[in-house]
Amino acid sequence: MTMDLQSCVTIEKEWDIVKARQLGREVAQKAGFGTVDQARIATAISELARNIYLYTDGGKLCFEIIDNVEQKGISMLSVDNGPGIEDISQVMEDGYSTSGGLGAGLPGVKRLVDQFDIQSEKGKGTEIRAVKWVR
Amino acid sequence: MDLAIDVIDENKKTIVKLSGEIDAYTAPQLKEKLLQLTKIEEHKTIVDLENVGYMDSTGLGIFISALKSTKENNSSIRLVNLQDRVLRVFQITGLDEIFTIHTAIRGGNE
Amino acid sequence: METLKPDAANYQSLLKHYIATQDEHSLYGAEQITKQFIKNNIPPEEIVNLHIQAMAALYPDLPEYFRHSMKFLLETMISYGIAHQEYHTLREQQSELKSEIAVAANMQDTLLATTKPAIDGLDIGVVSVPAHQMNGDYHHFVTGEDGSLGIAVADVIGKGIPAALCMSMIKYSMDSLPERTMRPQTILKNLNRVVERNVESSMFITMFYAQYLPADGKIRYSSAGHEPGFYYNARENRFEEIKAKGLVLGVDPDTDYRQYERVLHQGDMVILLTDGVTECRQGDRFIESEEVLDVIARFSHLQAQDMVDKVYKHFERLQNFRLRDDFTLIVLKKEV
Repeated sequence: MTMDLQSCVTIEKEWDIVKARQLGREVAQKAGFGTVDQARIATAISELARNIYLYTDGGKLCFEIIDNVEQKGISMLSVDNGPGIEDISQVMEDGYSTSGGLGAGLPGVKRLVDQFDIQSEKGKGTEIRAVKWVR
Repeated sequence: MDLAIDVIDENKKTIVKLSGEIDAYTAPQLKEKLLQLTKIEEHKTIVDLENVGYMDSTGLGIFISALKSTKENNSSIRLVNLQDRVLRVFQITGLDEIFTIHTAIRGGNE
Repeated sequence: METLKPDAANYQSLLKHYIATQDEHSLYGAEQITKQFIKNNIPPEEIVNLHIQAMAALYPDLPEYFRHSMKFLLETMISYGIAHQEYHTLREQQSELKSEIAVAANMQDTLLATTKPAIDGLDIGVVSVPAHQMNGDYHHFVTGEDGSLGIAVADVIGKGIPAALCMSMIKYSMDSLPERTMRPQTILKNLNRVVERNVESSMFITMFYAQYLPADGKIRYSSAGHEPGFYYNARENRFEEIKAKGLVLGVDPDTDYRQYERVLHQGDMVILLTDGVTECRQGDRFIESEEVLDVIARFSHLQAQDMVDKVYKHFERLQNFRLRDDFTLIVLKKEV
């Protein structure tokens, strides 16, 4: 497996969400994603970045191209030092969203990508890794 | 239909003026307000129902919990200005005998 | 999306045809494709992309601004697409819940089942219909060893599942009362304690309990804050409200209930109901209790079961076939 260097964006202000989308889209383009999937990746990044912006004092989003023998894709890693998520099952439930209506939040991200993993510790922060493969 | 809750605080006493309908949809906000007031020791709560044209059994349930709360907290609740339809609900359920109810707010000296 | 491929060619040819002719035929074809898309769960952004591809194939030198505008549209569709998927999942969950509730409602029917007894000289009619799947009204018939008939009509505050759960408790408490205490006031006093101990402070139950003694044609009754029923005096051809004062169950554990008595004569009727009957609404207007009586009187010449069925049908129609509250009506007619 070969990997490009990670590129990261620190999320502190709302404007940083746009920066993260921009960077993520560039990486996705380089990985060979089509227009529709680029748009999906940008939307997933928005949701991840918004979570950091809204609920934590700051964090970062990092992107890298995954290129192994079978497939190519993008990995999105979201790391924050926020309050952590106490009940992950609840947050991942459809219809549960503190910030928006239908389609928002982490269940939305999960639908947009192929792999989704979340780890959180109360008081320490949350780490989310999302991977999408080029079709 | 909505329920508007206007709260007028006076010394050791609060007048809660309600306008609209009390039913399963509007009841939760009323419950929260009344339980908050009746929890204050020796506080007097006066609920003015002049502009309430309809109340269903959920509404009664809320007044019952408020009454139970006054007994635990040594506070009081009084209902004033009930319209006939609402008063009838209290009479049928026998609750008019355990609540202090005044059908006219003026003229009394309590 | 594999499922899109055969449609893509189809979409492109329909589009081409439409641009050339603007005919209804191609639009009908488009509608058929849409149905396929919905069936296959195709998200909106894929459809926009399909359009972009088709246009690019048909017009290779499309202006730049048009291509940008289509990409812009595609981006705005992404969140819409997730919302659509989530809606789907929620709908599936909803139908799961619905079938679970249906099972519970079935169970409730079995648990609370009561059979209308056959009593010589007394014609009985019963109708009880829930507003939602589960009934918060309850009625129960018990025949005592002495030949007396006990009739309970109750209404739990609120509707739906909590009300239904509460009713099961009432039913089992009633079943466990020893037979010789079957006097209305004693039954209510006992139930009151059970309810007071077991339900949350804002919940309560109203109940009317009547006991009919066929030997002397007498009826004894007590009310725990229940919607008053009516008594029909056949000799005077007159309805009157059954006045029986008493506190609802579950508020004060030390309540005593008054018991009333009345002798029924030939043709007399006792009408018991819940507030689903008296609180019918026509649009925003409540019907008055005289109107309820008018309707009851209109059908009072019928057999008791026919009578309650007709009264129910009347109010069902009046409320556009959507009950706001559970509806229970019982009629006892003294035949001889």
